[in-house]
Amino acid sequence: MKKLTSTSLLPILVPVSFAIACVTVVLPSVAKQINTDYIHVFRTSFLGILLEALPFVLVGAILSSLLHLYVSEEKLGKWIPKNPVIGILFACLLGLIFPVCECGMIPLVRRLIQKGMPLYIAIVFILSGPILNPVVYAATYMAFRLYPEMVYARMGLAFFVSASIGFIIYMTWHSNPLKLSLSRVDNTSAHTAEHRNGGRWNSIFVHAADEVFEMGKYLIIGCLLTAGIQSFVARESLTAIGAGSVSSYVFMMSFAFVLSLCSTSDAFVASTFLHSFSGGSLLAFLVLGPMLDFKNMLMLLSVFKTKFVFYLAFLICAVVFIGSVLTGGIFL
Amino acid sequence: MNRPHIIRRHYFTRSLILLGFALYIGYLSRSDSLHYYIAPDMITWITYSTIPLTIMSLSLAYQALFHKEDKLCDCERPLSQSSFKNISMYGLFLFPLLLGILLPDQALGSMAAAKKGMTLGSPVLSSVQLSSMFKAPDKYNTEFAEIAKIIYQQQVIEVNPEVYSEIIGAIELFKDQFVGKEIKISGFVYEDHSLKQNHEFILGRFLVQCCTADANPFGVLITSNQSIASLQKDSWIEVQGVLRTEIRKGKEIIAISADQITQIPRPDTPYVYPNGDAIKGLYDAGYNIKSGTD
Repeated sequence: MKKLTSTSLLPILVPVSFAIACVTVVLPSVAKQINTDYIHVFRTSFLGILLEALPFVLVGAILSSLLHLYVSEEKLGKWIPKNPVIGILFACLLGLIFPVCECGMIPLVRRLIQKGMPLYIAIVFILSGPILNPVVYAATYMAFRLYPEMVYARMGLAFFVSASIGFIIYMTWHSNPLKLSLSRVDNTSAHTAEHRNGGRWNSIFVHAADEVFEMGKYLIIGCLLTAGIQSFVARESLTAIGAGSVSSYVFMMSFAFVLSLCSTSDAFVASTFLHSFSGGSLLAFLVLGPMLDFKNMLMLLSVFKTKFVFYLAFLICAVVFIGSVLTGGIFL
Repeated sequence: MNRPHIIRRHYFTRSLILLGFALYIGYLSRSDSLHYYIAPDMITWITYSTIPLTIMSLSLAYQALFHKEDKLCDCERPLSQSSFKNISMYGLFLFPLLLGILLPDQALGSMAAAKKGMTLGSPVLSSVQLSSMFKAPDKYNTEFAEIAKIIYQQQVIEVNPEVYSEIIGAIELFKDQFVGKEIKISGFVYEDHSLKQNHEFILGRFLVQCCTADANPFGVLITSNQSIASLQKDSWIEVQGVLRTEIRKGKEIIAISADQITQIPRPDTPYVYPNGDAIKGLYDAGYNIKSGTD
């Protein structure tokens, strides 16, 4: 067996050693030409985003692991209201109890779906949780201290968008949205019980670690892309696009998608645009960002089927756009 | 399903990676360099996250080393059989570690400021200036007025890093009253093509709310009669001078005529953070607050 793995590594080892040899020869002269400023800006942004997301991912992974080992399907079934309207309201309020950032939300939600939570409730929770919670309320209030309408508009629109998307999903999507490899997992409860002989504590953390690796790769790719955009693309060249009235909405929404900021800090970034953008388009930024961005779309793709993720992304964009244009036109 | 010894190897690799992350964060925390990446409020969270990371790493190592063969299986979450996929996945996790360890910590500077767009004046104020437009309650303005009152009494206004953006905000809000006041302020040198060569530069800072992803560069225009050609971009300096106002791009901004420019070492915390209680911040920074004097 050992022999087999080392021979299978051989075709990789040869080009790798060749590449290393080339790099060591060429590197010093190339390194002089590259502007090291770019690398440092990239490095600082990348590690900043990653380190910031890490505690939330850990909390999400541990909660999800606890849920996996201690809460049975029947128990969860009892907690979840059967009536879809009450169910959606219930999911909107869940964020108040679990103030988890979107990076922590996704492993938790996957586990909830596997445990039999209806899809539409889970989706409402993913969408509303990162916005409808006390931490984000406080942060938005701080950033828009002189403009409290914005805080209420953000909370209200987030509630409206997640409830209506939950309702649309309830009406339209009936098949299993989870990736095939993940959806067959939960017939192994009996099997898990066996694993516990390693100690309950041990298995909590082993499961949590699995979760971290599963989510982590998407998180890291998301951070790489985000940091790349932040350090190589000038913001001025982006803002130039958003001059028109409709294009400012489109711009702010794509900006939120690309920046992938945490929902607790995006309000502050938005407030720096107050002088150049309309209230409605800032609202679109504040509501869309936590629901859909580079980082969490990759994480969603790790859990859900691609088709479902694109359907969801389309719904989010459409509803946020309509909602923020209307709110912007009427209230702001 | 994979064979037990392959699963062991996976668990062991993962254990090492998690331990690597825990050690790296521990190292950043010990060397006091976490503040290059995140705001002080978040630092506690990051520091505490080394605990679950270490426990996870130990649990995985325990699983890999001491678990009986028949109890090891990856049927719950199948591990990939393709070695290319595995190598690239673990490579992805090693990348931030290598990037972190191999290159030195460096604070954001002119280059990032240019990409993010330097604002003249305090970024905490941009929402305040709109107050007339939005007719919002005056609570925030009162705080600025309070700050302005305190700093106005000083002979030389020292812009302390703890309340940096708030002091600049207060001065900017009441700029006409502050014309002619003496001020002392530190930051990094930022230059761009819109400024007069050799006689003007912007003294910049980054305002960080949560992490470096939301770092917001802002600064004050500094003008000097003498040539400042010797100042290098991104070097840290302290400027003492007189406050005045100037019209730039149709907007009235604050500027400082520098009397004295001194090179200073880069401060330990190069960024500034919004202060929730600016009055207390001023007090802590050594401003004597005489209540009741106007």
